[in-house]
Order: sequence, then C-alpha cells, then structure tokens
Amino acid sequence: MEVVVLAKWVPTTQEEELKIIDEGRSVDLEEVPFRMNEWDTYAIEEAVRIVKEHGGVGWVISMGSEDADTALRRGIAMGLERGVLLETEEDLIDPFQRAFIFKNLLQKKGIKFDLLLTGGQAEDDEFASTGGVLAGLLEVPYASMVIGIEEISGGEITLLRELEGGLMERVKMALPAVVSIQTGINEPRYVSVTGVLSAAKKERDFLSAADFMEGAKGLLQLIRVEIPPPKEGAEIIGGDLDGKVSGILNILKEKGVYK
Amino acid sequence: MSYSLIIAETRKGEFQEGNFDPLYLSDIVGLPSYILLPEGEYGILRGSCDKVIVAPLKEGEFLNPLNIIRLLERTFQAFGEPSAILLPHCSFGIDVAPYVAGRLGWPIITDISGFCRGEEGEIFIKTLYSEKINGHFRLKEGMRFVGTVRKGVFPKVAEVVKETLFEEAPSIEKDPRRDFIEYIEEEIEDVDITKADLLVSVGRGVKEKGNIPLFEELAALLGGVLSCSRPVADRAWLPKARQVGTSGKTVRPKVYFALGISGAFQHIAGMKDSDVIIAVNKDPSAPIFQYAHYGVVEDMHRLAQKMIENLRDQK
Repeated sequence: MEVVVLAKWVPTTQEEELKIIDEGRSVDLEEVPFRMNEWDTYAIEEAVRIVKEHGGVGWVISMGSEDADTALRRGIAMGLERGVLLETEEDLIDPFQRAFIFKNLLQKKGIKFDLLLTGGQAEDDEFASTGGVLAGLLEVPYASMVIGIEEISGGEITLLRELEGGLMERVKMALPAVVSIQTGINEPRYVSVTGVLSAAKKERDFLSAADFMEGAKGLLQLIRVEIPPPKEGAEIIGGDLDGKVSGILNILKEKGVYK
Repeated sequence: MSYSLIIAETRKGEFQEGNFDPLYLSDIVGLPSYILLPEGEYGILRGSCDKVIVAPLKEGEFLNPLNIIRLLERTFQAFGEPSAILLPHCSFGIDVAPYVAGRLGWPIITDISGFCRGEEGEIFIKTLYSEKINGHFRLKEGMRFVGTVRKGVFPKVAEVVKETLFEEAPSIEKDPRRDFIEYIEEEIEDVDITKADLLVSVGRGVKEKGNIPLFEELAALLGGVLSCSRPVADRAWLPKARQVGTSGKTVRPKVYFALGISGAFQHIAGMKDSDVIIAVNKDPSAPIFQYAHYGVVEDMHRLAQKMIENLRDQK
C-alpha cells in the first residue's frame, strides 16, 4: 500500500483576535501561532495505521512556506516515511489551483498511491475541497467526511461517512481512491517536541511549487477580507467574578431552570 | 439564457431543508433554477423553481459524486450547460461539489454565506479563519462555477412564483467504483440531551479530560444535563450522544449554557433555537457572542469553580 497524506501548516486562530491589514486585502498573521491542521493530524494517524497493517510506504506532502517543513517532520515523527514540501511564499487560497499543483507533483514525480488521504477541511480557509478536486482531476473515486475505515482488501476499501444528526453511511470504493478524513476517526498519537526535532534528520524533498504550475490557473480571487459585521450580539455580563456568577444564576432563575 | 443547476439532497426519501438556500441564492443572482433530484415525488417544489429534473436513480445511487458527474454530462446535453452548479453545504454537497469541480475544470467556492453585486462584479462571501473573517471572492473568468451554500443564510426572494416544469433526466450507466451499502443509525444512549430544559455545554476550552468532572458537578448542582461541542466528542471525553451540532443533536432547551465553545456554524446550527443562550468564553472575539443572548468574557474553569462554590454554599 502506498498511502499519501496531504497536510497543511495553518495559523491557529480559534483564540486570536484578528486584525485586517494591507488595505483590507489580508489578515495579519504575524503574531499568530501555527500548527498542523487538526483534521490532517487524524489523516496522518489513519495513514500510519494502514501502512502498519498492510505494509508499504506512507508519504506526507505539504505546500507552503519553509515553515511548513514542520508539518513534514510531525508526519514523519508520527510514523510516515517520506516527506515532500512544495515551497511557495504565495498565498495560494484557490483550492482548484492547489489541487492542480498537487496533481502535477504526483504525475511529474511519478508518485503512485493506492490511497490518498486529506483532512476533511483546513482550519484557515475552510474550503474542504482540495482532496475532492484532486480526485476529480485524477478521475479516481472519492469519499469525504470519513469517520471510519473498516476494511481494505482485494483492491477495495469499505468506509463509513459521517452524515447529519448522528446518521452514517457505509460505502465501498475501488482503489486507488482519495478519502477526506473527519476528526474523531481515531486518537492521534502524541508526538514529543524532541520527536519532531529528530525527524529533521530524515530525508525530505524540498521542491518549488513554481515548477508544478503548468495548467494550474487560479480561478478564484480573494479581493477583500473583513471582520464580519456584528449581529445583534450578546448582552455582556461584566463586573468581577462574583458579579458574573450571580448574573448567570439570575438568568437561570428567571427562566425557571434553576430554583 | 443560462441557468443554475441545484443538485438537491434527500435522506431516506426526505427533501432536505438545506436545499432551499442554493435555490434562493440562485433567485438572488437572477438565474433560472433547475433542481436535480433522485427518484421521488416533489410536488412541494411546484412554484419555487423553473424545472424539477428527476434522475432515474435511487437515493443511494444519486448521493454519489461518481454517478453525479455522469448524470451532469447527460443533463448538460439535454438542457444545456449551466452557469452555476449549486449544492447545500452538507455531507452530500461537500462530497460532490469539489469532485465535480475537478472533473469539469471549474472553480469552486464552498460554504457560501453571502452574495453582493457592485463595481467589482459579483462577489461571493465565505468565512475564513475559524469564522472570524469574511472573505470576498470573485470568479476570475466570469460566471461559471460550482458552489455549496450554507444553510439558513439566504432569504426567499419575496413573491417569486414560477411555472415549474417536471422533467426526467436521461439515464446513465452507474460508475461501479463507488457503491452505497447502507445507512447506520447512531446507538441510543442513556441520556437524551434533546429533552433537557438546561444544557451545560462544554467545548474545546475544557482543555483535557480530567476537567470534565468539574463541569459534570456544575451541571448536577444546577439540575441540568452536560452536553458538548465536536472537539470534546472527537476526543471521546464525552460520548457522541452528548454532542450538539449538525453532525450531533439539534437541541432547543430553555437555557443553553455554553462554556469554552467558540461557535463554529455547525455548532450554532444545532442550538440557535434555544430560548436563551448564555456563552462564556475568554476570547471576546469568539463568534458565539454574536449568537448568544448573554455573554461573559471569562475563563470557563475559573467561572465554574466560583459558581460551584456559590451553589454549594446555598445548599
């Protein structure tokens, strides 16, 4: 089994107050910490387990600035063998273009896969599209939001897709295939900082994304970013800790859910 | 004139509410709307769109990107090429839209939550960076794209009544490389969070499993039930049956008391109809404060500790 994972190095914005710069054209990420995209951590874990069970080679491929090498090192520290970074300083946000560059890489470098995994979405652009577009470009089967891989045998994969409201569907696909992984599919192993550091000794390929742009047109243009206009919003209960606590308890009493 | 093709989702034969947003977006953009569906009866769509195109496929065969692309090729031959292919942003839309975009070589915009038209042309808006930023996107090569549309964001254009034609899509040979086998229902758990009057709900901010008992105690002292957002269930700190959101449960308690939940739209969709929403988060820019009735900017652990102390004293 050749298993390839596409992993992205992303800004961690859940707890950051973001500022708009560049006359409304970009978000200031200078002070924001980066990490492996959460979904991709699950995809890598799944790949490591598949390679362990079925043999073969696991790859982690990323695209971004040289910092994204940390994504490769994390992937290797978790148990994958090969790492490839497509270096670019450009902020390539169009998922069609990103997928096309990955397609060019796989084809030009002769990287063959039985299974290509991506995270269900990237935390930064939330497009949830690169894997699906890539599958379409390569004309191989695709399934998204996969919450369980039940069996891989005889050139087929049986998996569970997560639907809405607690419902799942069981799907069977022919390999090679592209699968996007939902969080919660497994428990990603812990990797120590030293583990990530020592993975730096492993050989990785550093290529320039510019060499794989043939036909990879950007079809989408991000012309402006803005802080979403505030909705009505919450009435803020301020004061000291005691004031906040009694404020909440008063509302609960008023609504009759706490007496 | 061109049109938009809306590929609609049904589940167990039921037409899904999320299909209306792509339909209304199509009306707002000003394109005739054709809706493509699996076998079934769709009388409810009479008057709301220009064409209902029923494909000779069962639901399980239809909800499959590999069959959809074959269906599209035949549909284009029969009805012409659309300017926009729109789907609901859901487990079906996100399965089909990117694949279709890749096969057709068209641009894709997912999770569209706004649209405007101005000097810069047609602008589609989607959220970025944990929903803290709106990105304004323009199609570089004019109106031809695949999009998924967020549920509940586009209003019905007033008094659009159309003469709806019902047609049949051409038949296709199914792609043997992906097969639907069956639906699997979630196992029933001991607690039904949809029945609670008060939900004390914890999110990513809870940080580790060892902190869960603190909030269990808080919920117990208040006479409420403990629920959670996705990251907590993903890590199995609480059972999946306690998860609020599109992939979990939709709840409408009298009070939804959210602690350390940032407010991703998948979560909001599962709790927005609660009578009162109280949100506690240490990040004042957390999106949940846009949806809550009351907000408290505070560390959830510190607040819970203090609250428990007060409640114990009162007993």
